Amino acid sequence: MPTENSHIKILASAPAARIIARELNRRRFLGFAAAAGGAAFLAACSSPESTLSNGLESQLSMYSWGDYDAPEVLTAFTKDLGPKLTVDSFGSNEEMISKLVGTKGTSGYDIVVPTGPYIPQMVENNLLMKLDHRQIPNLKYMDPAFLGRDWDPTNAYSICKAWGTTGFVYDKTVITRDLFTWNDFFDAAMNEASGSVSILDDPGEITGMFYWANGIDWNTTKKEDIDAAEDFLVNKLAPHVAAFNSYPGSDAVPQDLQALIQIWNGDARLGISESDDPDKWVWRLGAPTTELWMDNWSIAEGAPHPKAAHAFINYVLEPANSLAELDYIGYHTGAIDIEQKAKDEGLEMLDMVFFTPDQIATMKDAEVNEAQERTVDIWNKMKAAAGA
Amino acid sequence: MTTTSGAIAVEKRPDEPAGTVVLDSVTKIFGESTAVDNISLRVEPGEFLSLLGPSGCGKTTTLRMLAGFETPNSGSIRISGEDVLGIPPYKRNVNTVFQAYALFPHLSVAENVAYGLQQKKVPKAEVREKVVSALEMVKMRSFADRKPTQLSGGQQQRIALARALVNQPAVLLLDEPLGALDRQLREEMQLELKLLQSQLGITFIFVTHDQGEALSMSDRIAIMREGKIEQLADAETIYSSPTSAYVAGFIGQQNFFEGTLNKDGNLENSGGKIRAAIPLSAQTGTAVRAAIRPEDITIDSKEPGPQINAISGSLVSISHLGETLQYLVDVGGGHTVLARRPRPGAPRLELKSKVWCTWTPESVLMFHAHEESPGSHDSPEE
Amino acid sequence: MSRLRLPRPILAFPAIGWLLIFFVAPVLLVLWFSFGYKPGVFQTHANDKLSFDRYAEALNPTFFTTFWNTLWVGVAGTLLCLIIAFPVAYWMAAKIPSRYRGLLIALVMVPYWTNFLVRTIGWQIILAPHGWLSAALNWLGLIDGSLDILYTRSAVLLGVVYNYLPLMILPLYVAFDRVSQDMREASKDLGAGRIATLLRVTIPLAMPGIIVGTLLVYIPLMGDYITATVLGGAKGNMAGVLVASQFQTAQNWALGSAMAVLLILLILVSAALAGLIIWLLLLPFNRSRRLVIGVAK
Ligand SMILES: Nc1ncnc2c1ncn2[C@@H]1O[C@H](COP(=O)(O)OP(=O)(O)OP(=O)(O)O)[C@@H](O)[C@H]1O
Ligand SMILES: [Mg+2]
Repeated sequence: MPTENSHIKILASAPAARIIARELNRRRFLGFAAAAGGAAFLAACSSPESTLSNGLESQLSMYSWGDYDAPEVLTAFTKDLGPKLTVDSFGSNEEMISKLVGTKGTSGYDIVVPTGPYIPQMVENNLLMKLDHRQIPNLKYMDPAFLGRDWDPTNAYSICKAWGTTGFVYDKTVITRDLFTWNDFFDAAMNEASGSVSILDDPGEITGMFYWANGIDWNTTKKEDIDAAEDFLVNKLAPHVAAFNSYPGSDAVPQDLQALIQIWNGDARLGISESDDPDKWVWRLGAPTTELWMDNWSIAEGAPHPKAAHAFINYVLEPANSLAELDYIGYHTGAIDIEQKAKDEGLEMLDMVFFTPDQIATMKDAEVNEAQERTVDIWNKMKAAAGA
Repeated sequence: MTTTSGAIAVEKRPDEPAGTVVLDSVTKIFGESTAVDNISLRVEPGEFLSLLGPSGCGKTTTLRMLAGFETPNSGSIRISGEDVLGIPPYKRNVNTVFQAYALFPHLSVAENVAYGLQQKKVPKAEVREKVVSALEMVKMRSFADRKPTQLSGGQQQRIALARALVNQPAVLLLDEPLGALDRQLREEMQLELKLLQSQLGITFIFVTHDQGEALSMSDRIAIMREGKIEQLADAETIYSSPTSAYVAGFIGQQNFFEGTLNKDGNLENSGGKIRAAIPLSAQTGTAVRAAIRPEDITIDSKEPGPQINAISGSLVSISHLGETLQYLVDVGGGHTVLARRPRPGAPRLELKSKVWCTWTPESVLMFHAHEESPGSHDSPEE
Repeated sequence: MSRLRLPRPILAFPAIGWLLIFFVAPVLLVLWFSFGYKPGVFQTHANDKLSFDRYAEALNPTFFTTFWNTLWVGVAGTLLCLIIAFPVAYWMAAKIPSRYRGLLIALVMVPYWTNFLVRTIGWQIILAPHGWLSAALNWLGLIDGSLDILYTRSAVLLGVVYNYLPLMILPLYVAFDRVSQDMREASKDLGAGRIATLLRVTIPLAMPGIIVGTLLVYIPLMGDYITATVLGGAKGNMAGVLVASQFQTAQNWALGSAMAVLLILLILVSAALAGLIIWLLLLPFNRSRRLVIGVAK
C-alpha cells in the first residue's frame, strides 16, 4: 500500500518509515486482519459494477501476503488497464483459506496467492477458479521449470508468483567461525549466539530445520520423528531463542537485533541491502537440505471481477513487470531468462535470488498433512519455553 | 522555617490568652485584585464576632487566612498569642465549619466526627466517648452510624459543627454555616449556635452576609467592604450609630434623601427640608444624604401640623410582616418611602389614598452624599 | 406537559444494544465454539458434537507457562502504570491551574494520535542495540557498546507504560478532580497532614477511578500481545499469542475459543483475587478507624 508508506514518512525518518511500513504490512494480521478483510469485502460489494471500454471490470481485489508486490507495478496496472485495485493481506495460508471457506464464494476477493501444497485441497473444496490460459498469453514468458509442479501439473489453477527457500544469516563479528549447515546453526545457537538467535515465526519452518538437519523427511507423520523434533526444539534450542520473527529482513538484520537469524532468501537480501554494514552479514542456504516454497497467482471461486483478474496476472507476467517484482520482493518470479536480465540491470546480491541446479536439488516441497496440529503445538511449546 | 514549638516559645504573648485572635495589617492579593486590604482586628477569647459584608468583600479570604489555607501577602496573624504564619492548617488550634459542610461522604457520621480525634491519636475509648457526647450536644446521637448523604441539610450542618467542636479548638471559624438552610431552620440553628457558643466559651468567628443573623448572634460585628473593615462594633452601635451611609444601608433598610446642606444645618432639596438632631459638621452647600429607618417613620392620613420632617404621597401597598405592617408610599418623581409600624395601633389606611409620612429629627442620620449605599432602600430625592 | 417523555429504560437501549452486539455476542460465540471441535484441515470449527474436550486440551503446561508470563507482564505493567500515573494525575487535578489542564490532557493523549502498532515499532527502532538511544547513551558515556534492552522484560514494560499510561492517567485524573479541594481542606483543618489526608480522604474518595484505571489497563494488557512480542521477542510470549496461533495458524477455532474463554476467566479471577488481597491487607487499617456507635440506650 503505497499511500501508507508516504503517510508514515511524515512522522519518521526515511529508513525508519520503511521499516515501519514493512512491519505494518506484515504484522497487520496480528491485530487488524479482521478489520482489513471486512473493508475489502465491503468495497467489493458496495461499489457499482461497471465495465471499462477494454472489456475489463472497473475493480479488482487482491488477497495476498503483506508487502508482496512492487507498488509501482500495481499503480501502473491501474494506469495502463483501468481497474482500481484493492489489496488485503493475510499472514498464513490457513488464514486465507478459512476466510474463503467461511464466505463460501462471496469473499469478494479476485486474486489470491496460495502456497503450492495448499492448492490441491483448495481445488477439492471448490475455492479456486479454473484459469483461462487464453486470457494469459504472457504465460509464454514463464520458465517451464517452475510450471507444472506436483500440486497443479497443468497449471489449471495456479501460476508461479514467486518462489524461495530458507537459510540463515549470521553476523560474522559475533560468530567468527564458518557456518554452513543447519547443524552448524544449532551449534552456534547453543553456544556463541545464545540469546541472540531469531527463528521464523512459522511452525513448519521451525520443525523443518530439525528434519532438514537430521535427514528426516520434512513431511513425516511418524510419532518418533515428531517427538524427537519436539524434544530438541523445545528443550534444547528454545532457551537460546530471542525472537520468533518471520520477516527479520525488515528489522532484525538492518538493526542488528540478533546475530544468528533463520531467514527466507529474499528477506535476507532485503535485510542485508538495508544494513549499514552489509559486509558483516553472511548468508547461507540451509544444508544439507532445505525447502522450496512457491506462492502462486490464483483466482478465487466466485471472483466478482474475473476478467480484470486474468488481465492482472497477464500483466505481472510481462518481463519488465516480472523483473520489477523480483527487484522489490527479492524472490525469483519463475520467468525465463530473468537471471540474465537481472544481471544486465545491475541488481545486486543475486546469489540470494538465483540458485544452481545442484542447490535446487536439495530443496524440498512441503505437504499439508495431519502432523500440522503437533507442529503448531511444538511451536507454542517453544515459545513458552523461550519466554520463561 | 522555624519549628512550631520554637515559634511559640518566643512569640507567645501574655496579653493574648488562649482564644484571642489578632490580625495586624493583613493584606491578601490575588493577581490583580486585593481581596483583603490591610485589615487589623482583635477578637477576645470567648467572643462571638461576625464578619458581615456583600459577596466578594473578602470574608472567606479572611477566614481562610486564619485557618491556614491562604498566606497573607503582608501583615501578621496571631492565634492565642502565637504567630501562625508559616504554620500549616493541620497544626493550628482552630477548626472550620465549611459553607458546604465538606463532610466526608465515605465515612459515617460518627467517623466524620471522630476524624480529628483520630488524627491526634486519642485512645479509642476516649474517641468514642467524645464522639457520642459531641453528637448528643448537636442532638444527632441516633444518626451516628448513617452516611452524611442520608441526612438533611440541617442535620449535615449539625454534624459539621460537631466534627469541628469535638476537637475543642481555641477558635471556631464558621463560613456561612447556615446559608443553605431554610428560614425557619436557620433561625432555630442561630439560637442553638449562640447557646452552644456561650456554654463552651470558644471564640467564634462567623461569616455571613445576612445582617439579621449577624445582629441576633454576635457580640460584635465587623462590617466589611471591598477588603476593608468599614465599622467594627456591637450590634446596637452598628444599628443605631452607623459611621457611614454604607453601614447604615447594610444593616436594616433605610430611606435615603439626597440634598445639600443649608445654613441651618438642614438637608434641603426641591421637596423640602430635613432636620437631623445631630447636624453634620460640614460647609454649607455640601451634598449630603439623610437616612431614616422605616420603623422610625410615622404614617397617617391626616395632614400633620407645621413640621419640617414630613412628606406626602399616595399609598401604594401594605404588606404584613408578622408583628409589623409595612407601607410603601409613592412620593412622586419615581421615588418611594418605606414605613413600618407595629401591628397593634397601626393606622387603618386606604390603598391609593393620600398619606403623610413624618419622623423626628432624632431618627435622622446625616452623611456625606458621595458615599454609596449598598443594600439600601430606594432613595427619593425630593 | 406535552413534551414527549420516554421511559428511562428505553433511553438505555442504544447502549445496551451496542454492548450486546459488540461485546456479549462475540463472547457468547466464542463460548459456543469452545465446546465444539475442528473437523478437518480446512474447517475451523464444528459444533455438532459438544464436549469439554477442548478445555482439557487447552489446560496443558504450555498454557500455564504462557499464562504466568502474561500475568507477570499484566501485573507488573499495571502496577508500573499506577505508580507513574498516580502522582501525575494528582498533580494535574490538584496543583495545576485549571486553564492548563486541557493542554496537559491533550499532551497525555498525544501518543494516541498514532497507530498503536506504529508506536510500538517506533520503540523497537529506538531501543535497538545500535539504535538512536544506544548512540545517544554511548555519546553521553552512560553505556559502552550496544544497548541490551530490546527483547527483555524491561523493554516490554517500557512499551506497556508508553501504550497504556493514558488509560490510567485519565480515569485517575477524573477521580482526583472529583475529590474537591474542600474535602482535602476539611481533612487538614481537622489535623491531618498531607499523607494522612491522602490515605484517609483522597485515595478512598478516588477509589472508583483507581479501580477503573487499573482494570482499564490490566484487562486489555492481558490480552495484548503486540506490545510484548514487538519489544520482548521471545521474552514477550503472551497468552494472546497462543490464542491467536490457534485461530490464525492452526485454524482451530474450537481450541482457540477454549483458550480464549480460559484466558477471560483467569483475567477476571486474577483481578478479583487482587482486589481481595488488597482488601484483606487494608483490613487492619480500616478496622482501627471504624467507629460504630449503635443505637442509644
Ligand atoms: N483563589 C482566588 N484566586 C483569585 N481571586 C480570589 C480567590 N479567592 C478569592 N478571590 C477574590 O477575592 C475577593 C474576595 O473573595 P472572598 O471569597 O473572600 O469573598 P466573600 O466575602 O467570602 O464572598 P461571598 O459572600 O460571596 O462568599 C473576590 O473578589 C474574589 O474574586
Ligand atoms: Mg465566602
